[in-house]
Amino acid sequence: MKKTRRLSASQLLLFLALCLFTAITLTPVAWAFLTSIKQPIDAFAIPPKLVFEPTLEFHHMVWFEKGFGRFFLNSAIISVSTVLISVSIGTMAAYGLSRMRGKAAKGILLGLLSLRMFPHMLLAIPFFILAKLLNLIDTYPAMVLALVAINQPFTIWLMHSFFVDVPAEVDEAAAIDGASEWQTFFKVVLPIVRPGLWVTALFSLLLAYNEFLFALVLTGPNTKPLPVAIAEYGGEDLNYWSLSAAAAIAIMIPIVVFMMLLQKHLVRGLALGAVK
Amino acid sequence: MATTSLAGTAVVQSSKAVTRITERTTKRRAKGARRRTLWPFLLPSGVIAFFILLYPLGYALYLSLFDVYLDTGVSTFVGLGNYADLLGDMRFWSSLLRTVGIVASAVGVEFCLGLAVAYGLYRLKFAVRGLNLLMFLPHIITPVVAALFLKWVFAGRWGLLDSVLAGMGIFPPDWLGDPMWARITVVIADTWQFTPFMILVLFAGLNTVDQSQIEAAQIDGAGGRQVLFRIMLPAIRPLIVFVLTMRMMDAFRYFDTIYVLTSGGPGSATETITMQTYALAFRLFQVGKASALGVITLVIVMALAAILIGVVGRSKERA
Repeated sequence: MKKTRRLSASQLLLFLALCLFTAITLTPVAWAFLTSIKQPIDAFAIPPKLVFEPTLEFHHMVWFEKGFGRFFLNSAIISVSTVLISVSIGTMAAYGLSRMRGKAAKGILLGLLSLRMFPHMLLAIPFFILAKLLNLIDTYPAMVLALVAINQPFTIWLMHSFFVDVPAEVDEAAAIDGASEWQTFFKVVLPIVRPGLWVTALFSLLLAYNEFLFALVLTGPNTKPLPVAIAEYGGEDLNYWSLSAAAAIAIMIPIVVFMMLLQKHLVRGLALGAVK
Repeated sequence: MATTSLAGTAVVQSSKAVTRITERTTKRRAKGARRRTLWPFLLPSGVIAFFILLYPLGYALYLSLFDVYLDTGVSTFVGLGNYADLLGDMRFWSSLLRTVGIVASAVGVEFCLGLAVAYGLYRLKFAVRGLNLLMFLPHIITPVVAALFLKWVFAGRWGLLDSVLAGMGIFPPDWLGDPMWARITVVIADTWQFTPFMILVLFAGLNTVDQSQIEAAQIDGAGGRQVLFRIMLPAIRPLIVFVLTMRMMDAFRYFDTIYVLTSGGPGSATETITMQTYALAFRLFQVGKASALGVITLVIVMALAAILIGVVGRSKERA
């Protein structure tokens, strides 16, 4: 009896310590959110005001007046196209690699892993020059192709980990029933890994949505996605502080949705996501 | 080779089961039933990889041998001249030193803090999932947005930190304006975004440690700390090497956050190698020299990764 009580006391202490850590971690987010619903006069108060009259004015401005809709659209076009291309071709490659005998497949997978070591800056330079030569700067295809390329190692590794879980007996049974390679892939194996396909697509979407460096270099006024738009956001306007906070919160909303969809799969996706 | 098995360990799916299945299938295939034509599956990805990854990389290597100015289009072959220039340039060495300092402190702090929190979560018997999810948020926020959040905390006078400190009558340091504090702020920013990743991976790793081994040690009278350091950490050493290597490589190319927080300043206090490459290529348009700097970065990162895997990986065999 005594022992259980002591145990729960230490558990409570541990719980409080971890809550404190989480609270500190989330403070910058909470602060940004509070700023976004404050009038500038409250936002600049010293010491910071915790009691104030909240306003949704700046959130309204972000969504309806300040042209953020356009950047949202750009981000959506770029991320969704990237996911569609990257996941479809990556899935095929991953299936092929998971079914190959011999050392070739292992070699290719390792090669993909080492591609992630390349500093993105080293790729940004030739991407920029080639896109300039081909007149593709500030077009969607340039940005999408760049993102597909850097997403490939990740997409293939993650899908590969799902295909390896499907025993080859399944393929063999399909082959005995007379299915071709493509039929086996599309009608038999792909449906089995459908949950994995969703996970891969969501992670791939997240990578594309968050990308900054390539967007900074390859996009322009017509195709600028959210991260670049908000990094450039500024001005002498006193409203700027609250307004950009509202914009930052708006950019975060899809991420919170991703996270809720992904929570079951975070570990697998991120461990392999490191392969990006 | 080592890296794949490490990547495998990180996946906290029962990898043993996977190996068993793979072994079984290889055996069955060895009996050699049918030849499969799988290369068409690889073709589209291969084309993309060649034209958009390998060709540009080759092009960057090629560019690094030329003195190319993007705005004028003048291009002269200089051989290894760009590399020689960089290696003889104090600015390169000081930004390399800064980068190593920032990477080492960030990854070090992230690992220690991450391990402490992961162990805490491991010991906690309730609310683990919810806490883990909440503390994970900073890691997936768009890095630029995360950097802005931190900028508003560290900004002079009106930032959260300054106004709290001022409210308590403490005169705060100039977080983003003072060279030393700017570097510390950059490290804090990286720590904020990547400690959650450490926690997630280490927590998952701790949970894979064989329970019977822990119990045996406890019966022998080992306390919580001894179990952690003598049993659990050695057991997940491959995972630790994996996560440290990955973080080191990422931190080396750390760009978004520094760009938004300090853009390399004040002066060049937070100018890392990546920031210097960006400035060379996209501000001064010296793309040849910038490419050479990119190649040098790659070589350094690969060497560091090899050392990390070699040294920490090998001491496993000794233990």
